[in-house]
Amino acid sequence: MIIDAHGHLGSWPDFLIPEPTAAGMVELMDRVGIDMIGISHLLAVGPDAVAGNELALAAARDFPGRFGVWQVYNPHHRTPLVTEGVWGVKIHPDVHQCRLDDPRYEPVWELGLPVLSHGQTDSPWSDPSQFAEVARRHPEIPLLMGHSGLWPYGFARAARFSGEHPNLYLETCGSKATGRWIARLVELAGARKVVYGSDACFLDLRVGYGRVALAPLSDADRALVLGGNLARILELSS
Amino acid sequence: MPKLVLDAHRLIGPHPFDDLPEDPRPDLDRLGIDQALVTHTLSLYHDPQAGNDALRRIDDPRLIPVPVVVPGFCESRGVMVRLCPERHRFDLTGPAALRTVSALGVPVAVDLEESSPGQLLRLAGEVPKLLVLNPGYRRLRAVAELMAEAPNVWLEIGTVNTQRGVEWLAGRFGARRLVFGTGAPVMDDCGPRFLLDHLDLPQDDIELIASGGDLL
Repeated sequence: MIIDAHGHLGSWPDFLIPEPTAAGMVELMDRVGIDMIGISHLLAVGPDAVAGNELALAAARDFPGRFGVWQVYNPHHRTPLVTEGVWGVKIHPDVHQCRLDDPRYEPVWELGLPVLSHGQTDSPWSDPSQFAEVARRHPEIPLLMGHSGLWPYGFARAARFSGEHPNLYLETCGSKATGRWIARLVELAGARKVVYGSDACFLDLRVGYGRVALAPLSDADRALVLGGNLARILELSS
Repeated sequence: MPKLVLDAHRLIGPHPFDDLPEDPRPDLDRLGIDQALVTHTLSLYHDPQAGNDALRRIDDPRLIPVPVVVPGFCESRGVMVRLCPERHRFDLTGPAALRTVSALGVPVAVDLEESSPGQLLRLAGEVPKLLVLNPGYRRLRAVAELMAEAPNVWLEIGTVNTQRGVEWLAGRFGARRLVFGTGAPVMDDCGPRFLLDHLDLPQDDIELIASGGDLL
């Protein structure tokens, strides 16, 4: 089972996304053989988490079994959260300008579900050291570090943090990631700590998937990264 | 799978900031890439002429040299040349650069991150063909405007990484102006290589992109 941990639907203001729809996503998933993708709507990441979360849930209803929903929590708006029908919570400290370790995210941790957060090395909002701190505070919460810190110069450090915290996972998407670095993350943090994500439709689904599909990994490690780990984290049945 | 795959943007040589392979050939083999247009990293991180000299010593028809030119300081010839105006600190649209590329009369490659669409539009007026390297996905609108204004601009697709971005460009400008390239090993080669095999385009268009459009 191939499961993409990090997806989006919708538009983003500062560049053109030629195919932002749910139907378009499913078409590409079928084209390359991806079973499921976890999505948050970009409207929710941006100005309106409530409306965007509704759009993500509607897409999941329209395409049963293809979308998991990461409901977005905006700490300024104190977005209502649910525990049913979602994979967990998506937070974006950089867009919301609220540090990952800020107490305003407390409702997210209290919910008890897995959390996917944007992660960006040297960002004041989402540096990997903040993931380590939050993972230490909440060892029962599976925490996915989006983009593994984004910048290649920070990948090894992010992998060290993941190695130190059993509940801290490295997610692979990003415009600067490489197949070679994904193989190194597996080597540094262990294959059970790395999960595939594409960032589609923000990025192209096929590029993010292909980066793992063609990375210099063993078949066993690749299977864990491409879905085995996320299925275990989310307790999904095949 | 395309019959011929040419990576139009590849680096050979040592890098100062990461543990990356100096020789691209093992990765080319692994990913089914037949040929590559290569620039030597010594030209980027040390001395332009030293890199060009190292390129000349590579005797392998799979690796096609793309030497670096620094107008007024480092001249060279190849099937294509590369200009690095930010790295080598010269004015891409200054008189020396424009005179140099006009006299060379060969395709010129420039990284979008080292220039601007406006500069590239000016440069395109002086060269037979201009290959824009590393265009990314965030400036797709500006890149499209450049391609619409300058029919002699070609685009490397390795970083055109937003959902169906390559198909969007192919629909507007034709596959012949799109070129498979990666920027590896600094940039990723796995994702772009996979994308090439899974583009939602006619097979003839994919073959064109894979083999370099009609750039060379």
